[in-house]
Amino acid sequence: MIEVKGLCKSFGDLKVLKGIDDSINKGKVVVVIGPSGSGKSTYLRCINYMEEATQGQILIDGVDITDKSIDINEIRQKVGMVFQHFNLFPHMTVLENITLAPIQVKKMSEEEAKQIAYKLLDKVGLKEKANEYPNKLSGGQKQRIAIARALAMNPEVMLFDEPTSALDPEMVKEVLEVIKELAQEGMTMMIVTHEMGFAKEVGTRLVFMDEGKILEQGNPKEVFENPKEERTKLFLSKVL
Amino acid sequence: MFSYETMIAFFNTFIERKYYMTLLSGIQETLLMTAIATVIGLIIGIFVAIIQVSEFPRKLKWLEKILKGIAKLYVDIIRGTPAIVQVSFIWLVVLADVVMARPVVGGISFGINSGAYMAELIRAGIQGIDKGQMEAGRSLGLSYFQTMKLIIIPQAFRQMLPALVSEFIVLIKETAVIGMIGGRDIMRAGNIMMSDTGSFIWPILIVTITYLVLTSTFTMIMRVIEKRMNKGRF
Repeated sequence: MIEVKGLCKSFGDLKVLKGIDDSINKGKVVVVIGPSGSGKSTYLRCINYMEEATQGQILIDGVDITDKSIDINEIRQKVGMVFQHFNLFPHMTVLENITLAPIQVKKMSEEEAKQIAYKLLDKVGLKEKANEYPNKLSGGQKQRIAIARALAMNPEVMLFDEPTSALDPEMVKEVLEVIKELAQEGMTMMIVTHEMGFAKEVGTRLVFMDEGKILEQGNPKEVFENPKEERTKLFLSKVL
Repeated sequence: MFSYETMIAFFNTFIERKYYMTLLSGIQETLLMTAIATVIGLIIGIFVAIIQVSEFPRKLKWLEKILKGIAKLYVDIIRGTPAIVQVSFIWLVVLADVVMARPVVGGISFGINSGAYMAELIRAGIQGIDKGQMEAGRSLGLSYFQTMKLIIIPQAFRQMLPALVSEFIVLIKETAVIGMIGGRDIMRAGNIMMSDTGSFIWPILIVTITYLVLTSTFTMIMRVIEKRMNKGRF
């Protein structure tokens, strides 16, 4: 479903990604871990073209998104993204946050968009917050709304960029529960995270990145219990 | 200069010759001109600011360069020349043969002037919005301009509102130069009174107080808006 070939990304002279090859199959949950500065967020952001790849190809359903002639907005409808800092729209209610893109991009009727929004709010357990503004919500609630907002476009893949890193500890669980539920439903996902227990539990594949490369990957339990690379061992010994 | 007799004499003439009507129509012309200038300035300012901050789609990079060049030239010309020169140029040269009401011509002239300054305000307002907002909009499949219109500008506008009201107040004062090239604003009303009566102190005091009342009224309105906004939803 997603294929990455020789992906490189530089910011000026700084090489952040130094050739990544990977493929993500439908219904799989790929968890990306690694030390900060390893390029894992940049890798994720390249996949929906939030960052422009310097070199290499990214194919989503066979369409090369690094090709300048394609309509990137169309691709992005298929790829939902959840950010570390939620990025809810503060001037809109929760309901408006969720219905905005379906109405504007998919040209859905307001009625239909609202129906979908309520269904998703129910799913993330926040139906009663539909008419609140984001500043009235806790961090965990904001992130659950952000997930609902991304799901409203009915994406084929969901990208999570450290979804719990900005949360107070007691709110991490409620967000992870929602993501876990999505995994069980068979959503294709790519998750950059520092939550090792969660990575082990939901990941179908674990990717360890360091210095802009994929150093090691495999079944999460195996990588955690029996890392092959020295760097992986060192990293895991610090975080586990 | 401040003698009681001269004051009585002036205000008798003020009422006799109906100078209050001259003053009132001056206030009307100043406010109308300012309002038109604000609207035109705002429209120009939004366009110029968006051009300045925007990143065009990959296919339209050439257009971005041209538009950014024009925007820069416009801002440089306006900021690099005195307002009276620009207004004379537009009033006496560009719009010389166009039949339009005086305040409209003045409003257009000052609007073109004000647009450059508003563009700077709006640009700062847009750039003050968290980058994550644009990313969130784009990640949902909204185009750059949809995200600007629906997400960035509404938030930026709330933050800029006080600054834009200040710009309106600045315009009330700046339009005073229009009398020099034929406008009939508040300052011109003062000049008429001065040349008719030979008295300087009383007409200029009246003009001063009139401007002060207008600007402090709008400052008060701005404070109320600010307070309401701070109590508002974010």
